[in-house]
Amino acid sequence: MNRLNALPTLQIDPSRKISFIYRNKQYYGVEGDTVATALYSNGIRIFARSLKYHRPRGIYSLDGECSNTCMEVDGIPNVRCENTLLKDGMIVKEQNVVGSLENDRMSFIDKIDWMMPAGFYYSTMHKPAKIWPIAMKQIRKVAGLGVLSPEFKMTGKYDEIFPTADVCVIGGGPAGMSAALEASDKGLRVILLESRSVLGGFFEYRSHEYKEGQSYHDRAKELSAQVEGAEKIRVFTNASMIGTYNNNLVTGFQIGGKNDSFDERYMEIRAISVIVATGCIERPLLFENNERPGIMQMGCALRMAHTYGLVPGDTAVFSIGHDLGIETAICLHDLGVKIACVADIRKSGQASKLVAQLTERNIPFLTGWVATKAHGKKHIKKVTLATLEGRQPTNYDCDLLVASAGLTPLTSGITVAKGTVKYDGHTGCFLPDKMPAKMYAAGRIMGFDDALSIESSGRLAGCRAALDCEACSTTELSDAKNQLDGLPDPAAGCKLVIAPVEGRKSFICFDEDTTIKNINQAIEKGFDVPELIKRFTSAGTGPGQGGIPGHNLPLYVAKYQGMSDVSIRSTNVRPPVIPTLIATYAGSNHSMFKRTPMDEMQRNDGGIFRNIGVWQRARYFSSDLSCKNEIENVRSNVGILDGSTLGKFRIFGPDAVKALERVFVSDISKIKEGRIKYSAMCNDDGCVIDDGVLIKQGENDYYFTTSTGRAGSTIEWIRYHTRYDDWDFHMVNLTDSMGVINLSGPNARKVLEKIVDIDMSNTAFGFSEYKEFQLDSTIPVRCMRLGFVGELSYELHVPSSYMKTVWLMLGEAGKEYNIQNFGVEAQNVLRMEKCHIILGQESEQRTNLLDVGLGFLWNRNKTEAKTVGAVALRQAENDQTRLKLVAFKMENKGRAPRDGALIVDKKVRGYICTARDSFTLKEGVGMALVEGDLSKNGTRLEIYEDECGDDRIYGEVVPMPLYDPKGIRMKM
Amino acid sequence: MALTITCPICGKRNGYEFRFGGEEKGPRPVEKDLTPQSWCDYVHMNNCVAGVQEEWWFHKDGCGSWFSIYRDTTTNYEVEKMEVANNEQA
Ligand SMILES: [Zn+2]
Repeated sequence: MNRLNALPTLQIDPSRKISFIYRNKQYYGVEGDTVATALYSNGIRIFARSLKYHRPRGIYSLDGECSNTCMEVDGIPNVRCENTLLKDGMIVKEQNVVGSLENDRMSFIDKIDWMMPAGFYYSTMHKPAKIWPIAMKQIRKVAGLGVLSPEFKMTGKYDEIFPTADVCVIGGGPAGMSAALEASDKGLRVILLESRSVLGGFFEYRSHEYKEGQSYHDRAKELSAQVEGAEKIRVFTNASMIGTYNNNLVTGFQIGGKNDSFDERYMEIRAISVIVATGCIERPLLFENNERPGIMQMGCALRMAHTYGLVPGDTAVFSIGHDLGIETAICLHDLGVKIACVADIRKSGQASKLVAQLTERNIPFLTGWVATKAHGKKHIKKVTLATLEGRQPTNYDCDLLVASAGLTPLTSGITVAKGTVKYDGHTGCFLPDKMPAKMYAAGRIMGFDDALSIESSGRLAGCRAALDCEACSTTELSDAKNQLDGLPDPAAGCKLVIAPVEGRKSFICFDEDTTIKNINQAIEKGFDVPELIKRFTSAGTGPGQGGIPGHNLPLYVAKYQGMSDVSIRSTNVRPPVIPTLIATYAGSNHSMFKRTPMDEMQRNDGGIFRNIGVWQRARYFSSDLSCKNEIENVRSNVGILDGSTLGKFRIFGPDAVKALERVFVSDISKIKEGRIKYSAMCNDDGCVIDDGVLIKQGENDYYFTTSTGRAGSTIEWIRYHTRYDDWDFHMVNLTDSMGVINLSGPNARKVLEKIVDIDMSNTAFGFSEYKEFQLDSTIPVRCMRLGFVGELSYELHVPSSYMKTVWLMLGEAGKEYNIQNFGVEAQNVLRMEKCHIILGQESEQRTNLLDVGLGFLWNRNKTEAKTVGAVALRQAENDQTRLKLVAFKMENKGRAPRDGALIVDKKVRGYICTARDSFTLKEGVGMALVEGDLSKNGTRLEIYEDECGDDRIYGEVVPMPLYDPKGIRMKM
Repeated sequence: MALTITCPICGKRNGYEFRFGGEEKGPRPVEKDLTPQSWCDYVHMNNCVAGVQEEWWFHKDGCGSWFSIYRDTTTNYEVEKMEVANNEQA
């Protein structure tokens, strides 16, 4: 089909072809096309089959207000083709058809619509209840539009931005641009959102006269040039608002173009004030077969021609209720379309200039007439027009019917933020009523029809927003007000609710195939409020988000009930007001993990890394995931482990001890310099949340460690529990600035002695002691003798920047002993054999300090400290029903169960925390949390693993620890 | 998500930066006479006001301080302490 190519309003470049695939055939569109306009230019007129009745559907609004052009694009179902920009190589498919769009074998359903009244499923399929599962299967086969392939994988780049501004303007039409310019002229930072690809809104595609010698289109270009030239206005095109919230938060998403780094991006804009200038959409005209392909709205017909260069028909009839319809008729006539008749619903009120232009062109013009029925099976062939009372029905042949009851404000930007709208009898529209704080409406959304009033209301809103930002004087504001007051008020609107028809095939909601007859049925069943009727008939719940029925439904319900204007209630709109891809909300998947100073060296040594909390840690050092060599090396020789992920803190100040006594269960005041104190933290329920060691560095100065997982919230925790006390202490999180090397095994001392010049003998530096020294007279080291893995063990705390050096020094010194890396999994097994717990593995949310056998840490005499957890621990002390931590070994040298397996008898009695086939002990062992009566030594544990059926394995409770019960090895 | 919180140190910031710390319930009670019931009430029971309440927030992605604000739970707007006092008098 040939495009009009000499119009100044065109947004396409006919010289640049874009190829795409539709129904496995190659087609071409041009740059600037949407998928729908490209298909239209290739002669496609039926774009979809409707949800229930499989009626043919075509281009109607061009703005995605209904599902009429929903197709599958690149594997994504339900894409609204009319506002999806065509891209090279797109694969477009029809959906919800059996056969083809032209010949859908399901279209017979349209004839048996009488079988499916409103609320059909609700009221029929549940009696008797047995029917439902069968009925459901059948319904599922036919319900819904597109189908998502289970193999489908979302591709593309999704991003998110969180910009801030002084003023956020939603809508880049004349009012929005005027508002943005006003605010930026006053020095404010402005964000302007426009859902189409160009600024200009309602002016942009119109060639009629704005003022002497200037068209609306020229005026739009003039304004947008000013906006684009304004330094402080940040313009986002192809960016739809999807929600507005209090505190002036605006959410939206932007579709990326060829040169953007994203396909779509989610936006969350925070502004001091917000201007809603979203303008109007059209109110669909209700008559029989009002959604036949070939029927479209005024703006749609005009934009088809002016924006995309597509002549929307050969012979057109107009049934309209707004001057835009007359303007469209004149434009299409001048582009060569035969206009058979323009029937205006309004009996008076048309702009005389436009009427004169109709007369000049000999276009038949009727007032007080309306379309009552469209004819033609797959595309409109003729239309019946009649008076508003339904008299003198007359048929007109046509292949285009422009039908629209008029304009209706798009108020979702206001109502979603809990502003209200009110029915206005003069314009026949729901106009903004109570506005949320610091939010203002501007332009056509307020009912204005006059171009100058629209722009002026935008400038006024800009002033109001500027006043919120303290950038506008009251004089400037009242000047702007006076200027608007001198311009025309909103014009009277068309108030026809429905053509004089019975309504069996008059569709109030295209997405859900809801007819006027369905609405009648719902009202007769007793539903009286539009919001409930919407639920019962599902009118307005489809992809168009109420765009088509939003205005007509409340009007029709009020008319049916004979209500007065004031009591007309609109239905609610909820975010996202524009359908948004989940992928857009999800954004991109950033892999953000911390790496220790030893990361690179451990990778070079063959470390296999896993994401553990916020860190990446070396879990294994060979492909043997049982870590036999690593474990045996630590037990018999010496191993080196990177423990840098431990939480590390300094706390100091006059009240440091008080703060520590508040959160740690032990008596901190008794810690002696040079000694290490192991302790734990509980929450207010006595449940153990963390453990670590403390050392006293000086008077009122302590250094302590936390588990890896708690490092991020330790300062928050301590400050929370001391927030009333006004104590004088300070904390420093040293987790990232200090690294930790764990040197363990019977040969650990021999290795360390080689690089240290202090006495390392067991008498000079014993178990549970702490020393500070320097390596090479330079590197400060805090060294602790601990025994987490149950062997002679030194933990070296070293500034991160020295970590590599110390690691290399130890590697060099340990060469003669063949020192080896060990990873987190080997450590896990080693400490499990020793029955040293890891919180989160040997505990869950409900496990308290006593349950895991750490009650000895708790000093119960420091009630003045108000230790977190102490009250609850005292209360839980004699509770026999709690789970207890026990060690167990497997019967008959059986294999260890999986972590998390259940302890059962007739019911669940506990679970396995950690269990492994121990190379050291040569049998399957582990720890489990079991109910109190199962905790005695010698108790047989019946273990149930996932999918084991009737097979059980058995273990036996044994004393702790499993390895080296006297603790000789870590003290040697 | 639409929430903003005014940190006494950093000013009005996006709600994402903060962690909720519960209703204001006063300092930790003296341990001596606590019953399981009264302790549980202190730790777990909330007033769940539909209206203005005083509550704690932590500026986790900011200065790291705990502070309390007054917030209308029905609108998510912060309320000035002065306003609260005036309304209580009235
Ligand atoms: Zn702060």
